[in-house]
Formats: sequence, C-alpha cells, structure tokens
Amino acid sequence: MRAFSRWLAVLAFVPAAAAQTQTTPVPAQPGPDIVIKVGGTGKRLPLAVPDLLAPGLAAVQARIAQPFSATLRSDLEYAGVFVITDPVHYPSGSRELATPQDADRWLGTGAEVLVDTRGDVAGDHVSIEARVWDLKSRRMIFGRRYSGGVSYVERIAHTLANDLVKEFTGKTGTFLSTIVFVSDRDGAKEIYAMDFDGRNPRRLTTHKSLALNPDARGGKVVFTSYVHRFPQIWIMATDGSGQREISTGVELNASPALSPDGSQIAFAGSAKGNPDIYVVNTSGGGLRRLTSTHALEASPDWSPTGRQIAYTSDQTGTPQIWVMDAEGTGARRLTYAGNWNDEVAWSPKGDRIAFACRNEGDFNICVMDVASGRTVQLTSEGSNGHPAWSPDGDKIVYQSRRGGSTQVYTMDSADGQNKRQLTEGRGNSVQPVWVP
Amino acid sequence: MRSFSRNSTLWLAFFAAAALVFVPACKKKPPTTTEQARPPAEQPSGPETRVPPPTSPAPSTIEGDITSQSLEEINRRGYLKDAFFDYDKADLRDDARAALSADAQWLKSHPSVQFLMEGHCDERGTSEYNLALGDRRANATREYLASLGVDASRIRTVSYGKERPFCNASTEDCWQQNRRAHFLITAK
Repeated sequence: MRAFSRWLAVLAFVPAAAAQTQTTPVPAQPGPDIVIKVGGTGKRLPLAVPDLLAPGLAAVQARIAQPFSATLRSDLEYAGVFVITDPVHYPSGSRELATPQDADRWLGTGAEVLVDTRGDVAGDHVSIEARVWDLKSRRMIFGRRYSGGVSYVERIAHTLANDLVKEFTGKTGTFLSTIVFVSDRDGAKEIYAMDFDGRNPRRLTTHKSLALNPDARGGKVVFTSYVHRFPQIWIMATDGSGQREISTGVELNASPALSPDGSQIAFAGSAKGNPDIYVVNTSGGGLRRLTSTHALEASPDWSPTGRQIAYTSDQTGTPQIWVMDAEGTGARRLTYAGNWNDEVAWSPKGDRIAFACRNEGDFNICVMDVASGRTVQLTSEGSNGHPAWSPDGDKIVYQSRRGGSTQVYTMDSADGQNKRQLTEGRGNSVQPVWVP
Repeated sequence: MRSFSRNSTLWLAFFAAAALVFVPACKKKPPTTTEQARPPAEQPSGPETRVPPPTSPAPSTIEGDITSQSLEEINRRGYLKDAFFDYDKADLRDDARAALSADAQWLKSHPSVQFLMEGHCDERGTSEYNLALGDRRANATREYLASLGVDASRIRTVSYGKERPFCNASTEDCWQQNRRAHFLITAK
C-alpha cells in the first residue's frame, strides 16, 4: 500500500496530443538506498518484463499490448546490459509486491528487477504506466507514465526503453534513433532512412541516378548525387525535405562528411585526376584543399571535436587510414596491418576508429584504439564495409554481403557480439550511418 | 580549307587502316599473367549485358558519317575503344595506349565530338576508395588523349567507381571488363 501511494506520487498526467507520443518528463525519483548500475562488468541485469496489462478485448491485446511488450523486450535485450527472463515462467495474477512472498515468485524466475507496465485505452489514445521494482527490497526504482495515440505504441515502448537504459547505465538510449542508408530496392540507388532496428524504412530521395555515401549530423544529411550526371554534394533534412545542391568547384565530390558543428563538409574532391581531401562550407563557398600529395586521398571523417580528420591515402602503395589536423597539417599514418583499409568512422568519444579492413580474402570491420593502435577485427563472415557508430558508441552499423546481396547489420562495438541483420528483401542496402 | 579537309580524310583512311592492322596484332599477344588478363574479346563471362564493343573493325571512319546517326547509335557502334587497367592501378598499359592512339585519330577527325570519359572499377575494393580510383583512371585517359593532340576542353570525366559495372560475375575476366575508362560521346 505504501509503495502504491508513492507510485501515484511519482506519476504525472499529461494530456495526449492528437497524433504524437507524449511522454511525461517526470524525474524518476529512485528510492534512496537502491543503486543498480549495469554495464562495464559484462554481467547483464536479469529483468522480468511481463506483458503490458491492458484491460480490453482481443483487439486491444493485438493492437497495443503485444506490439508494446514485444518492442520493449526487444529493445532491452538489444541494449546489451539486460537479460530478459523467460516470460513462460512469470507468475500470473496480481503484480503487487505486498509481501516478500510476492517478490519471491518473481525472483524465482531468475529476475532481479520487475518491469511492470499497465495501460489504459480510451478511444484512439493509450496511457501506459511503467513501474520498475527492485525485487529483493521491494522498492520501486523507476516510475513514469506515457501517453499518446494508439498507433504510436511502439514509440512509447522505445521511449520507455531509452529511459530505462538511462536509469541503469547513465547513457542515452538509441531506441528512437535513425539509420540513414543507400538502397537500390526501388531501382536506382537512393537515400533511405529506417528506425534503429530496421523498421519503418522510407525513401528520402528520388534522384533516379546514383545517390551515395550519406553522412548525418544535427538533423542534416549530406550525400553525393549523380542526378546532374556529374557527382555533386547535396544536403537535406533527415526527413528528406529541403534538398539542395552544394557547388564545390571541383570534381568527384565523394564521401561528404559533416563537421561536428555542421558548418563544414569534408569530402574527396578532384582537380585533374588527383583526388584529395577538401573542405567546403555547408552554406557553399570557402573551398580549401587539405591534402596535396600526388597520391589518392579519399573517404574523410571528422573527429568528434572537429580538430582532426581521418581519411584514406594510398601514398605508401596501398589504401591506409591516415589522420591530420583539420587545417591539413600534421598528417600521420594510423593503420599498418593489411593491404586495404578504407571508409574510416570516428567513434563518438573519439578514442576509437572503425574501418573496412582487408589482409587477404574478404573485407572485414576493424576497430582501432587510436592512442595505442591496438586493433580488433569484429567480423569474420561475408564481405563487410562502411562501418558507422551508434550515438552512444556501443554499436556499429555496417554493410555485409553474404550470399547474393549486401544488407545492413549491427553489432556490439566492443567485441562484435550480438550481430543483427536490419534490412532484407529486394535489392541491396549499403553505406549505413547512424543518426542520433 | 576544302583541300585540307580532303587531306585529313586521306590521313584518316591511313590511320584507320593502321589501327585495323594494329589492334589484331595486339590481340595475338598471349596474356602475361592471369592477373593481367587482356580485355576479353568476345564473350563476357557474366550474364550481364553491358559488354565491351566487339573488337572487330569498327564501321569505317571514312564512310561512317556520324552526323546522320543519333548519339545513341554512335555510342552503340563503338567507334572509340575503351582503355583497360590493372587491379588498383590507374597507369595506362600498352594495350590501353594503343587503343587510345587510334581513338585520338578518330577524335581529331571528328573535332565537333564532345565526350565523357567514365572511370570504372571492379567490385573487389571498397566503394569509397574506388570512386577516387575511377577518377584517376578517367583522368589518366584524358591526359593521354590530350598529349596526343585531342583538345582537352572536349573531354569531361566522371567516376562511377564500382557502381556501374559492365559485367557482374566474380571472375577475373569480368573484373577486367570493369576496370576501364569508357567513352561516352555526348555531342557530335
């Protein structure tokens, strides 16, 4: 009874808007003696996540309870810090934790924490309350209410999952993030976006030529388009609106990369057949060349501070990853292993780089600790390329060709575990980049 | 001017004949290594359709009045021979120089022709690096044509990297077909 009244105190009601998920940004007010932090130790916190309790007919279960619970469990598993105990063993009946025996029934499933969700449906709106309990102490450690249109029930689950990741790890969850990529599923290569888990793919461009190598930051996407026969850099919003060409004055215009503040674009440009790294202002103009070797330079990416640019150069005879100051000075080689390294991507913290690497045979994804040079290869199956980091740095999204087509996958950036295929079906999906 | 033009027609006939002799002579050379296989003459190994034009003699440059042909037809007839490259290289091989020498003669006799040099790569490298490599291939070809007297202002370049392969099989024959600088005539 005590716990329940505290639960009520924590909740705040926010009226649902017509067509958007509303979340209540009420602080969780965790119990004073309970500190559960996960991540970093390798141990995953076992959670019991029973189905959303939603009174109503089968239709409510199918439209709301099932998609909500499936999304929530999938997200929490994906986070890499939780393990969901088997729902088959969950006790039925009341979820109140009035007595130690109530908690024991859940502890018996192997869970240490109970994620109790309950929903109310009124017309087209759903209100979902989440209560998270430490089972041993029977203390509530998180409580929040979410409401919105019933068609946004999956978004509500993503929002709750983000909040739980934040609560337990202190990190920002990625469950409302977007992956922008290239696909030829509709014919010509165009730019697409999808949810972090591969759901809701949508096409952003209709250039009907070649649209390649997107990069995204701060609500903007840059890419290369051949719509006017000669490749040019384009910029647009992450929903595909406001498409605009950025004239550079040089050729090639490949692999554009937005600076962290969004004001500049680094790219591979060419004058008279000598591909170099250039920078141009996002507003157009201000072109400057950063490299001036006779070798081939390509595929730049900014460090998160914007002070350095990593890129590919073949000046030693094979494509290798180099780094230089953002002014173009102080170039030094980073990779020495393998005979082909390219498509570098800097981690959000700036301590690591991911890149496509090859020694013999197929390409793989490698991650290097920049300070020590220590490198790990995270893939061993298929031909892999174009890695990009999740906003929290925990995941890498990349392309992998297995069998006849190339598709987008994700994996843990630390060790290559938890590989998941995000795209499937018609055509190829390549060159993914993760948008916060 | 009239007599000059007649003269150049004669010269053309000479060079066209020379080219016809020269190209088959080249073909007889056995490939030195499998890595550097010459562009396959007849059949592509893959099921794809964009195969290189046949190496049989092009329609005579004398009788080939391109003004009466559409650009599409001119390109399909393949008056100009593509240049082929070694793996991860943009240097012009002997066979590429021979082809481009003949191309230069044809281009000089058709001075109103404007064209695009497309740089292409095989599927084995990464896509971003290959875009830059294709740029080098297209420009190496452009520079060589210019050195042979073709006005560089007639030539534009574009790199497709490995995005627009001529052939889709994972075989050396097919890869060789894709490592090329390809002519596309854009104005006649």
